[in-house]
Amino acid sequence: MFDWLKPHDVLWLIPAAPLLACLWVVVVGHVVRRQYAHRPVILAIAFSAVLSYYLLLKVVPEYFGTPVAHDEHAQEHKSGDHAQADHKDGDHKAGDHKEGDHKKDSEQKVGDHKDGEHKDHDHKVAVAKAKPSTAISVNVFGETERDGKVTPVPWIRIGDPQGVPTLLVLPTLRADAMTALMLVMVTTVSLLVAIFASSYMKGDPGYPRFFAAISAFVFSMCMLVLAGNFVLMFVFWEAVGLCSYLLIGFWFKKPSAAAAAKKAFVVNRIGDLGFILGIFMVWQTFDGSIDFDTIFGDPSVIARVVTMQPEILTTICVLLFIGAVGKSAQFPLHVWLPDAMEGPTPVSALIHAATMVTAGVYLVARCTPFFVHAPTAQLIVSGIGATTALIAAITALTQYDLKRVLAYSTVSQLGYMFMALGAAAAGKEFATLAVTFAMFHMFTHAFFKAVLFLSAGSVMHSMGDVIDMRRFSGLRKALPITHITFLAGALALAGFPLLSGFWSKDEILAIIFEATKHPKHGEFFKVILGVALLTSLMTAFYTFRAYFMTFWGPEKFPEEAGHHPHDAPPAMAIPLLLLGIAALVVGGATGPTHLYGNYLAHTPGLPAAHHHEPNVPMMIISSVLAIAGISLAYLCYVASPGISRNLKSGMSWLHTCSQEGLKLDAIYLRWIVKPLRLVAQISEFIDRWVIDVIVDCVGFLPGLFGAALRPIHNGFVQSYAMVMLIGLVVCLVTALRVLAGM
Amino acid sequence: MNESLQNLNGAVQLVLPEAVLLATVCVIFFAAPFLVSERGEAPAGLRHRWGWLSLLSLLAAGWIGWSAAEVPHSTGPFVVDGLTLFIRSLTLVSGAVLVLLHWNQADDSRSGESHACLLAILAGVNLVAAANDLVGLFVALELISIPTYLFLLLPRRDAPAQEATLKYFLLSIFSSAIVLFGMSYLYGATGTTNLYAIHQAFADHHMPHNALVAVATVMLIAGLGFRLTAVPFHFYAPDVFQGAQPSAAAMLSFVPKVAGFVALLRLIVPTSGGDAAMQSWMMTPSANNLLWWLAVITMFTGNLMALMQHDVRRLLAFSSVSHAGYMMVGLVVGLHSSQQINGIGALLFYLVIYGVMTLGAFAVLIAAARSNRRIETLDDLAGLSRTKPALALVLSVFLFSLTGLPPTAGFLGKFNLFFAAWSQGSESNRLLACLLGVNAALGAWYYLKLIGVMYLRDPVDRSEDSRPLETPVLVAVAVCLVGTIGLFFVPSPLWTHIQSVVR
Repeated sequence: MFDWLKPHDVLWLIPAAPLLACLWVVVVGHVVRRQYAHRPVILAIAFSAVLSYYLLLKVVPEYFGTPVAHDEHAQEHKSGDHAQADHKDGDHKAGDHKEGDHKKDSEQKVGDHKDGEHKDHDHKVAVAKAKPSTAISVNVFGETERDGKVTPVPWIRIGDPQGVPTLLVLPTLRADAMTALMLVMVTTVSLLVAIFASSYMKGDPGYPRFFAAISAFVFSMCMLVLAGNFVLMFVFWEAVGLCSYLLIGFWFKKPSAAAAAKKAFVVNRIGDLGFILGIFMVWQTFDGSIDFDTIFGDPSVIARVVTMQPEILTTICVLLFIGAVGKSAQFPLHVWLPDAMEGPTPVSALIHAATMVTAGVYLVARCTPFFVHAPTAQLIVSGIGATTALIAAITALTQYDLKRVLAYSTVSQLGYMFMALGAAAAGKEFATLAVTFAMFHMFTHAFFKAVLFLSAGSVMHSMGDVIDMRRFSGLRKALPITHITFLAGALALAGFPLLSGFWSKDEILAIIFEATKHPKHGEFFKVILGVALLTSLMTAFYTFRAYFMTFWGPEKFPEEAGHHPHDAPPAMAIPLLLLGIAALVVGGATGPTHLYGNYLAHTPGLPAAHHHEPNVPMMIISSVLAIAGISLAYLCYVASPGISRNLKSGMSWLHTCSQEGLKLDAIYLRWIVKPLRLVAQISEFIDRWVIDVIVDCVGFLPGLFGAALRPIHNGFVQSYAMVMLIGLVVCLVTALRVLAGM
Repeated sequence: MNESLQNLNGAVQLVLPEAVLLATVCVIFFAAPFLVSERGEAPAGLRHRWGWLSLLSLLAAGWIGWSAAEVPHSTGPFVVDGLTLFIRSLTLVSGAVLVLLHWNQADDSRSGESHACLLAILAGVNLVAAANDLVGLFVALELISIPTYLFLLLPRRDAPAQEATLKYFLLSIFSSAIVLFGMSYLYGATGTTNLYAIHQAFADHHMPHNALVAVATVMLIAGLGFRLTAVPFHFYAPDVFQGAQPSAAAMLSFVPKVAGFVALLRLIVPTSGGDAAMQSWMMTPSANNLLWWLAVITMFTGNLMALMQHDVRRLLAFSSVSHAGYMMVGLVVGLHSSQQINGIGALLFYLVIYGVMTLGAFAVLIAAARSNRRIETLDDLAGLSRTKPALALVLSVFLFSLTGLPPTAGFLGKFNLFFAAWSQGSESNRLLACLLGVNAALGAWYYLKLIGVMYLRDPVDRSEDSRPLETPVLVAVAVCLVGTIGLFFVPSPLWTHIQSVVR
């Protein structure tokens, strides 16, 4: 069905469609048929989504390595352009492959790995012989020469025009297993959120602007994950930041929204500084190379750097991680994310829960080949992740704003992912597992957090934009669909047994548990494990606290809602239900079956993985914690509401502390923002009263001189002639004096 | 007898285009009085015929001059070298623009004579460029001056125009006397009036730079400085620009400058010899210092005084003073013989660009006039962007160019001058380059103020104005606009040509 589609066309078509939609809405849709601005956007995202699935199931698997060595082919596949030309016939041959075939392939691979574990020696030999998986890559702008060879047109080229450039950036799009999985997640969630938003945003004066920004975001996010080098990735890293800024401040007339947008942007700058410094370091360390294929494609490149400069990778990793900390809202830069809830709820669901904020996780996962050589950096990643998870969970316990509860839970879950990413500090053999589990949690989280946010949006929609949980309750009869979908998402988030969150969270706990056995870092990971378990309990508690406060108890509506709150209309209900189902089953379908893990393991550059057996005791512990959290929430907010009230009054100090996010915002304000503002005020004073005064004086002088010259232009011809004569005499006298002097 | 006739014939051959122009002048002067009744009434639309006739005459001159060969090593009264041809084409083209500007500026009864005066002035400029003799040079300069008096007075005879004409007349005579004085000293020092022979004398015999030469130098520079509007010989400019008809002001802002610079080049730089070994007789430190100081004072006075003006015409007068200063920078640099291509070349390049942009600015002022009132003060320009948006935009382009901002030719012109002064290398010239930069910044002040007035202020007179736009002026505006923008994007043909002229 897709035979006509060449692999490299898929790569650029995926981001091109939303870009086109964005341009269309900006140029035409903004003026004509404004109320239908969502149509081209939804269409474009749907197109991208279909292509992403095609990429996932068909294109990328063709580049997977096979255990049987084929050196000749491997050589050819390494250079992207040759690979395309070479691959056209491969494309046809494999044309009738179906999803089932791919599954079979995967299962076969599982078997391989099992064998490998039993006979360790054999396994190593097999790996050595195996053709490595490669990435498909495309240069967006290329000049085809007469012999059919495509010469890429560089985007940035610095250095001697004839010689080797000091910096060469090609506009390369690149896809491997990790990219494909990310793309599928991004486009699927985007599509459902866009459909939801077409109804949710109806009647807003900025309707076309909203969809233009959404499609711009989808374009940027696709480009971010498709980018073939660090510089291109950074550009779209900034572009998603820009879209996030535009969408948080969508209702820019509201001062709080404008302030939140600014805060998000500024806080992200701190992270971006780290990221760009990291890119500089990579560029310097790897002899001017910033291509993923060059750096990650061949393990010997990194190995050489490790032997020559053992410490440099730690620096690079920490710098890159600072970038991830900013984008993925990790402690201490997490403060922007809760405020970002000022944006429209679909934006919160899409950008600030499901996709953009996971870019940091993607970055760290992408750079795994660096991180495996930098255990210190990984300990930092894990530590920051745990700190974030705990702080955010504590804060989420007492929030009254439904969206803020979800925002803090997002921060907390992102912390979970980083905890897992850092677990590879316990040994290189854990690296792939750590990446897999972090990415898997990100994957499941995208679905259940999106459904939670969209349900919260649906609640807001029917409650007349009221989101304070103290002002409504008992909505489960009034909003049955929203209730069901929220419950599905909440159960998944809480880690209720056999649902999505359970599988992914359990894997993270298991890998951290494995890491505690490490002789050197074992103690560290024991603390991390404790935090993870505690957070798991709190997650279940605060999620269901929100659920019970909203949907249980006596039925109560705020006056903004009117008398008969209505449930979600179909355009909102269908995405909600689809996402709800996904939240329940996607984890179970792809996690325990190893579909996700085995696919991701084909990412080039990831070290060979040990097979991982499910850790049953961990599963039991986490199930118990989840159910305990849910029961506790039921006890406090449904069975006997007095308990929570007593707790609140009894420990009011702790309550305020949690309510205000451990007063971090206040601390930042006091110790960072205010001193900086003071510096700014001093600068402004100097600028206004020193610099400006000097400039004004300089500007005043010409006028003064002009005024001095004015009297001789008095309009009398006699005086003109006189001045001319005087001038002439002065000239003459001077000239003759000079002559006499000679 | 026969030989001298032959000589005369040969000399006229060299200046045929000018002869055509002057013949037209004679025809108009002869015919015009017969077409006007005794009471001074002329058939309606007569001015169009005079306009067409002038254009035709210019076209004919151009056509004849097109194939003119260079006769550089002449001992006769005229010389035709690259510079002559260059100035001739510049004069003819700018002359056509001036004819278009002047088209409706004089009423039917006086249009003929005023057009004839304009043609005579243009012929005079060409003859200055072709002069190879002190006497010829002086006569050519007077051929510019005397028609100018008429040209100022003819279109309008009200009190301001009379005052302006009288001021110009008196001061012009004064300056002519100074030039003549200087020439007589030069003749006294060298014993010849032929410019080629004078240059030869200085080059071959190492003529001592005695007091006679020094006085001649100063006098010639001072006298010609009047035409350049170099400070302190510039005083007439603002008063005359204010009092005269705008087309006459446009002419005064450009044509005398061409004549003045060409006369200076003819006198001091032996381009006519084409002989690199021949050195400028004026290349004494005193002359160089004098020009240096004149350039600096001219730039500063022009710009500082322009800042103070509320009358657009006076503002443009002072702006033309300051531009004369910029061009003198090129002259100063060019006097270092090794920098001739840079300095003199930049001067000639700037001259062309200055002509395009200043004539364009005046053209817009003429076009934007209301039926009851010309553009005089800043108030008349207020809100032009709303009443006549296209003209306001075009005037902004010319003002940007006068400021020296890209993408207009003015930027390249200033850049060339700056670069010439800077790359010459001596400290005094680098200082000159810096002062040029400072003055460009000062200039931006009042040019941008004009743009601000047009775009940010409300129109003072909100009444409907039914005056139709005049086609000839619009054509002139279009020509200048194309030149201003075009010379920025395609400067190389002009620049290469100038380099071959200066060589």
